[in-house]
Amino acid sequence: MLFKIALKNLLGARLRTFLNVLVTAFSFFLILFMSAMYNGMLQHAKQVTMDTEIGGGAYWHPEYDPLDPMTFEDAHSAPPTVVQALVDEKKAFPVLVSQASIYPGGRIMPAIMKGILPGQNIVNMPTDALSGHEDIAIPVLIGKGMASDTKLEVGDAFTIRWLDADRTYDADEGTVVHIMDIENFKLDMGHIWIPLNKAQTMLAMEGEATYVTYEKGLPTVQDKGDWLSRDINYLVQDMEAIIEADKPGAQVMYMIILALAAMGIFNAQVLSIFRRGREIGTLMAIGMTRPRVVGLFTLEGGLNAVLSAAATFIFFGPILWYFGAYGIPLPIDYSEMGMIVAKRLIPVYTIGLVASTTTLVSIIVLIVSYIPSRRIARMKPTDALRGKVLA
Amino acid sequence: MENTAVITINALTKRFPVGGDFFTALKDVDLTLGTGEFTGLVGPSGSGKTTLLNIIGGLDSPSEGQVSVLGQSLNDTSHKERALLRRKHMGFIFQSYNLLPVYTVFENVELPLILNKIGPGERDKRVAQAIDWVGLSDKRDSRPAMLSGGECQRTAIARAIVHQPDLVLADEPTANLDAENSHHIMKILVQLNEELSTSFIFATHDEKIMAYLRRIIHLDDGQITKDEKIENPKASA
Repeated sequence: MLFKIALKNLLGARLRTFLNVLVTAFSFFLILFMSAMYNGMLQHAKQVTMDTEIGGGAYWHPEYDPLDPMTFEDAHSAPPTVVQALVDEKKAFPVLVSQASIYPGGRIMPAIMKGILPGQNIVNMPTDALSGHEDIAIPVLIGKGMASDTKLEVGDAFTIRWLDADRTYDADEGTVVHIMDIENFKLDMGHIWIPLNKAQTMLAMEGEATYVTYEKGLPTVQDKGDWLSRDINYLVQDMEAIIEADKPGAQVMYMIILALAAMGIFNAQVLSIFRRGREIGTLMAIGMTRPRVVGLFTLEGGLNAVLSAAATFIFFGPILWYFGAYGIPLPIDYSEMGMIVAKRLIPVYTIGLVASTTTLVSIIVLIVSYIPSRRIARMKPTDALRGKVLA
Repeated sequence: MENTAVITINALTKRFPVGGDFFTALKDVDLTLGTGEFTGLVGPSGSGKTTLLNIIGGLDSPSEGQVSVLGQSLNDTSHKERALLRRKHMGFIFQSYNLLPVYTVFENVELPLILNKIGPGERDKRVAQAIDWVGLSDKRDSRPAMLSGGECQRTAIARAIVHQPDLVLADEPTANLDAENSHHIMKILVQLNEELSTSFIFATHDEKIMAYLRRIIHLDDGQITKDEKIENPKASA
């Protein structure tokens, strides 16, 4: 009975209902969209890291700590036989890491010099660009961000100085052969990439590597000596820690939008009760009990949420779908800020996101509908009939 | 027609708090009304007509005294029990109609039947009959905003009598209507009173209504000053 009356009230109110529903639907849309954008951003960052850097995992030299450049000096040896076998089968590629100083335009800059197998196709890096430059002393591949910092362009030469395995400093001229446009800033900022065999020669570390990255889907090898196995879970843990650390910020944003939606509905409900005082009195006069009137108004708020969910999919569904399919171009290059953010961000909608948002918004709507409706329970029918409402 | 008591009031006093003091709206009122009576509470503004009507309708509580309506003492009943009494046995007609603006005539009249959990088929039949009684069959799908004052009040009457209550309370039902509409409304009510034996109580100071009443209870300053029975009302259906 209440449902029928509530539905009649909602549909009968036409413009008032339409406006309430539209505002709630817009808030609904914003919550969904913002959450999906955030999901998309995180998923993209993870995916880019895996595609360009992690592959299926890696075997590290036991001394290697990517966060401590001082370890690079000692973090090199010939890979274990089983790992080298993967390299030979082109299922893995080695990387030799060392510190270096570069002198672009006469300025000194510290850099991480990484020797990489030019023919690798396990991670999405344009390492092929390092092939076929026999006439160049040291062919160098750098990222766009690094090129911008150093003001280097393709064909520019600059001095590279390094410390080899015999603790001897040496220097030679590197030439930029390619500038890669890569979303993973960790492969770009402060990095110079050179052919692996060149790096091994320069550093007097023939046949050696710091880590070996293997392709996706390979099982972990046994007999890897003292080298350490670093699977995807290990390698993305930093990323996940960043995501986890960023959660409170996202939750605050989520709560702000939710609060806006709730305030809109609360406002509409309070207004309804003030404006509909006489109607409430009439319902009481014809025999509706107070709890039922409270229930009716709460139900109207609840139905508002249901209609809003439907309106979100009808009015904003195409927009959500469009952005989900084609993404949103971002005007700023976030890589310089140390963030992996796509140039075209694609929101990711999951069933969990839609279900949790719908449930949460519905619960909030019910609560904010119920709170002002409780005033009705304190109302005298005679006051309500005169249109007088408790302040 | 007038046999069993529909309303019994003994020593009713009603006080309202005003500032730090109390205003006495009704004082020591004793009253008995029988089945099928067509009664008016008559008096100037502030005489306590509406307060008495509200107390009879269980919309307000007495400060002192005993009020029994349709055999049920309102002194001992909860809000819920009073709501159920109104729902099943009473109908209300208000000066300003109090129709629900988003409902059509049909839906407004249907509402008491929905509250009384009458099935859809029976509901349609009774609503059609009530609308027919008040002569609004051609307006059943109109909303109150599309109706004249007289039509709104006729809708309110249909809503008040659709569940065939034992008692209808009407607070200044013709105050917002012109003479022609007032007579029309009163004729309908007299006819319903005669056909359904429904008891009617009016709060009014409208001479046009008084011409139809068979009992007039005069109120002044919250007290009954005169209780007159009229054998042959000036006007009739």
